[in-house]
Amino acid sequence: MSVTVELSYDMSKAFGERRIALERPANVKAALAEVESRFNTAGADFKSLSRVTAIAINGVLVNHRRGMKTALVDGDVVAFVKAASGG
Amino acid sequence: MMKGYAGRVLEIDLARRTSAYKPLDEEVASLYIGGKGYGTRLLYDRTEAGIDPLGPDNPLIFATGPLNGSVAPQSNRFAVVCKSPLTGGIGNATCGGSFAYAMKRSGVDVIVVTGQSERPVRIQIDGKTDTIEFIDADDLWGKGTYETQSILGKKMKHAVIGPAGEHKVLYAGIVSDERIAGRSGVGAVMGSKNLKAISLEGNRKLEMDDPAAFKAYTKTVRTLFADHPHLGSSMKRFGTAGIVNTTNARNILPTRNFQKGHFDDAMDISGEYMEDNELVGVKSSCIHCPVTCGRQVEIEGKGAVKGPEYETVALLGSNLEISDLKKVSKWNYLADDMGMDTISLGATISFAMELAEKGMMEIDLKFGEAEGVSELIRDIGHRSGVGDVLADGSKRMSEKFGGADFAMHVKGMELSAYDPRGSYAQGVEYATTNRGGCHVQGASMYLESTGPLTINPQNLKLKADIPVVQQNLACALNSMVLCIFTSYGMIPAMIHNLDPSSMTHRMLSKALENLGPMFRMSMSMKGPPMFWWEKWMTQITGMPMSAGHIQEYGGRIFNLERMYNLREGVGADQDTLPRRILEEPTFEGMTSGHPLDQLLPRYYKNRGWDAGGIPTTKTLEKLQVRI
Repeated sequence: MSVTVELSYDMSKAFGERRIALERPANVKAALAEVESRFNTAGADFKSLSRVTAIAINGVLVNHRRGMKTALVDGDVVAFVKAASGG
Repeated sequence: MMKGYAGRVLEIDLARRTSAYKPLDEEVASLYIGGKGYGTRLLYDRTEAGIDPLGPDNPLIFATGPLNGSVAPQSNRFAVVCKSPLTGGIGNATCGGSFAYAMKRSGVDVIVVTGQSERPVRIQIDGKTDTIEFIDADDLWGKGTYETQSILGKKMKHAVIGPAGEHKVLYAGIVSDERIAGRSGVGAVMGSKNLKAISLEGNRKLEMDDPAAFKAYTKTVRTLFADHPHLGSSMKRFGTAGIVNTTNARNILPTRNFQKGHFDDAMDISGEYMEDNELVGVKSSCIHCPVTCGRQVEIEGKGAVKGPEYETVALLGSNLEISDLKKVSKWNYLADDMGMDTISLGATISFAMELAEKGMMEIDLKFGEAEGVSELIRDIGHRSGVGDVLADGSKRMSEKFGGADFAMHVKGMELSAYDPRGSYAQGVEYATTNRGGCHVQGASMYLESTGPLTINPQNLKLKADIPVVQQNLACALNSMVLCIFTSYGMIPAMIHNLDPSSMTHRMLSKALENLGPMFRMSMSMKGPPMFWWEKWMTQITGMPMSAGHIQEYGGRIFNLERMYNLREGVGADQDTLPRRILEEPTFEGMTSGHPLDQLLPRYYKNRGWDAGGIPTTKTLEKLQVRI
């Protein structure tokens, strides 16, 4: 079991994958550091692509939990969320 | 005559084929603005309780408001009001395009169509000469909405029905250009009257109280829109489907008939994917609107056609577990050509899929399989074979086949594409909105799940307050008539550009969440105008306008709708959500579903209603709602 990170559309275009499986990062901060490292290895600019993007765990924004310190458990899905309007 | 209005109501009796211009009731306009508000007052006053929605006594009311006929961005929508054949309560829908502008230019604010024609007929209104013609429409009957408009030509603007309206599909809509007054079954009411189309033109100018101020300020608003991250950028680039990846990440994208809020292949039906892979030619907009949220995509055999919006890609895509955007685009085109609401259509098909999966209905449909869906949409539109069953919507189907727990409707109208288990205020809005399970009569989800500054959508804070404010605002906007998307501009660009992980952002969202009663109070203050719609209203009509006035007008309209529903037997027992939403958790840590039972009493109180959901005499008197 692991944690799945779902990339945003622009991130997935730059990285070439839609999801990244991580082996149990301790918290959101650690997960993002690992994702950034993989982006760097792939030559993709993680920082600019993740700008003004919120983070959700299983649909809930980390701002409503413990922020970047929110602990992760097996099976969690971490997603990048951009604000949007539709209808 | 009041500024901002044409000053006339056109009365059309289809049974007698007569017409007459009557003066606009200025008292009604001053209390209910126009559009949906004016239409609701007319419907309430002119009909007896219990009329057959598909009978001759149900008037079909087309209504514009004081902003229509101007060049204000997003001001080109008209409202249609009638008793809904889908819910038995208030029915209304608005539609963009260019019809509203032309209607006002033809010199009418409101068209009231009564009676039923014996044969298919269309109406042609020449506002330059005030000539009304009743023209036999046997040659158009049976034709799709696109072909019908093509035959009628470009000289006039048209509002038409397709086969779905003719066959009284309970969620048939009225189509104008590429847009549709989709919800409530207004197209079925038009079909019941054997009315195929209304066409009109005119050259009258809108009289404004302060045209110079309006002109100068509209220029400012256009700049504001152009610089706004949503109105000027993301909606322009991705259309409304640009929200797919957001709702998916927030776990509120309807999937598999609302069994889940997350679709693994959501990216393939998103606005971003559409831009990269499907978009052709120019993007389309309603007249004078700089947002251009409309898409153009190519489908086999038809060339460039209107692309699907968010609701369509969700209800006909993820909710059926279909990730093929070309298929969804084709179904969208078919539904528009038939003249059907894609929200109710998608939710009804997903309900049939689940019934089939559970062995409760014999129909050759499966989640994730596109085969047979095109044919089914045509069959629904023509009420052929099993399509006749689906044409009545999910509520009536559940009465026949069972499955009421997972028939995803409120008051008979299917839910739109925001799962309320991850958006509690939106759930309260769904449960209480007078026309049923709809998002554009408030759009509470923007403040809790999808917008740039969202509160925690899964606690009780503000969840009974936001829907009141948002429903009132939407009632007022739908009466001016202004596109609800304009309210997405309320949160300024600087907030969009804040890092959501920053302390500033977190503090702002916490502060918003903890406003409590201050939220409604601050929105009810009659101070200086804050938003463009308030300023436009004053510049055009001369009437003072502020956030407080908007809440008052909107509250009045909402309560009148409520009283109409109560009169028609649509009471508090229907202020609820599907059992699946109330009982089945979709989020980790949820022990149940949406906590509506805890929020509804607060909502009633905030509305000034008694514990049984009935507006008190004091509330009605305060709002000047005459019953």
